[in-house]
Amino acid sequence: MNYQLDMLLSDQPAVLERVLQTTRYRGFKVDSMQMQPASKQMRVSMQVSGQQPISLLTSQLHKLYDLASLECQAQLARNSELQSA
Amino acid sequence: MKGAQAILEFLVQQGVDKVFGYPGGAIMPLYDALLDSPVQHYLCRHEQGAAFAAIGYARSTNQVGVCIATSGPGATNLLTSLADAKLDSVPLVMITGQVARAAMGSDAFQEVDVLGLSLSICKHSMQVLEPQDLVPCLQKAFQIAREGRPGPVLVDIPKDILTGLVPASPEACKDYSIPEHSDQDLQVANQLISSSERPVLYIGGGVGMANAVAELRDLIQRTGLPQVCTLKGLGSAESEHPLYLGMLGMHGLAAANLSVQQCDLLIAVGARLDDRVTGKLDEFAPHAKLIHIDIDPAEIHKRRRADVSLLGDLKRILPMLGKEQVKQPWQQWVSDLKASKAFPYAEDNSPGQIDAPQLLRQLSDMSADDAIVSCDVGQHQMWVAQHMRFSQPTCHLSSGGLGTMGFGLPAAIGAQVANPGTQVIAVCGDGSFMMNVQELGTLRRYQMPVKILILDNQRLGMVKQWQELFHEERYSETDLSDNPEFSRLAAAFDIASDVIHCRSQVADALARMLAHQGPYLLHVQLDHKDNVWPIVPPNTANHQMWEQPK
Repeated sequence: MNYQLDMLLSDQPAVLERVLQTTRYRGFKVDSMQMQPASKQMRVSMQVSGQQPISLLTSQLHKLYDLASLECQAQLARNSELQSA
Repeated sequence: MKGAQAILEFLVQQGVDKVFGYPGGAIMPLYDALLDSPVQHYLCRHEQGAAFAAIGYARSTNQVGVCIATSGPGATNLLTSLADAKLDSVPLVMITGQVARAAMGSDAFQEVDVLGLSLSICKHSMQVLEPQDLVPCLQKAFQIAREGRPGPVLVDIPKDILTGLVPASPEACKDYSIPEHSDQDLQVANQLISSSERPVLYIGGGVGMANAVAELRDLIQRTGLPQVCTLKGLGSAESEHPLYLGMLGMHGLAAANLSVQQCDLLIAVGARLDDRVTGKLDEFAPHAKLIHIDIDPAEIHKRRRADVSLLGDLKRILPMLGKEQVKQPWQQWVSDLKASKAFPYAEDNSPGQIDAPQLLRQLSDMSADDAIVSCDVGQHQMWVAQHMRFSQPTCHLSSGGLGTMGFGLPAAIGAQVANPGTQVIAVCGDGSFMMNVQELGTLRRYQMPVKILILDNQRLGMVKQWQELFHEERYSETDLSDNPEFSRLAAAFDIASDVIHCRSQVADALARMLAHQGPYLLHVQLDHKDNVWPIVPPNTANHQMWEQPK
């Protein structure tokens, strides 16, 4: 399954490492990632894929103290393949 | 005020008067300031020992434990303990020194990226990069360590921030909002309890950490629910209750596992359906609906879908749960099962090999009601969990999630520091004991009356047991028959000791150990053929456990 994750993160050292490490450890692969500064925060959008229920990842991302908000949407695999093609 | 002084002043404000640690280059300014501070520092003999002592302090009091180490190897030596505290949800603040900011990133002497190393093994970690952030970071660290599901927080502080001036007044932290369940979910949970025929209460470490032991016991009293405990839940329910069945899981008691496998409703309270508890997950409690009560939303549905979940503070939720008595036929079935599967403890003073379960039961009977028992990891750990009884969860310190050998002795030291008037006993395996044996030096230094009981089978017993049962008796690297002579080791640290090998010596030796005023080591020689029973083999359902061969 493919998912789009839109996050607002505090601009703290290691914040991207935390997000990426959590994503890998909970069984998801980052297919693409965009980031954009927003005042003292940064907006990060990630497309991830994995076989586990996405709640396994989102519930752990919610535990990150540098995460201000998270939105998650399931994507059709085919769309993602087309986008990356 | 200098950074080092500001840290200690902040600790005093937090009510922290005892810390554990080990000095070194980058953290030296903090050790210098300690000389003028009321904070009492306990010097351990290895940073891992210091961190386990802080864990013992925290777990025996439900307060935040604090440990300090220098940069580089000091920090890396903390990492195992940091992971241990993460997996067992222990509130801990670790302070590490770092090289000065100007040297960071240059591969300086004793420089390591401890922030990077810490990320996956702590609740949160921070590196202080500006003087004005020092005290707010510490304040945030204590708040995060305590709030919600507790856990360890690491704060890495460059040396020049310790020596430079910092503002002292902390900023106010944001309040933590406890997750809340809905009234409707509570109603559904209570309906499930009322309509169930065969409910079981499955108690985890969260009960003790939420200070909800009294509320749990009150729930048991008004409902008569049969109860099982996880390793970390031991001591939460009253062990004398007629429907208390003890620990469940891989080395759980037969009645506990069979009751869970038969139940039609499992009420998980502050527990996470860990793999050592569930055995083969899709055959765990196969007839049961699940009510999952926890403060951590990430645990709900993680290992098994809950039929209803109640998020929040257990201390507030438990009084709202279960209004009526459990149905009598189920209570009778559980009670009969408990009687039929009870361990046949029998005092036997005849000459012969010492039986570890019997010895631990005797120790449990002879020690104080509020005695704190720590243990290492392996066969002896499971025997402690199966055969000793605990009046509170803070009385049983065991490395559950990470399963860290070498935990027992330093954790006992931390518990004794926190509870100076309480009997503290470290039950160690011969393999585990050697992993933090240097902490005998800490015992000697502070003359703490910790009692060490080494259950010595001259083997890495649990690994040997698996080699015997599941690896065709191919014993690879588990023979420890060249162990040192433990009583001579104790003597080198001026610690009194005794050695026993025969059943008839047990009662007197335990009495002598418990009556001794200072630290004491009792070396118990066991037969290496003894195994822990029951055992649920890997990838097997809990009801298919193997019980002790007749």
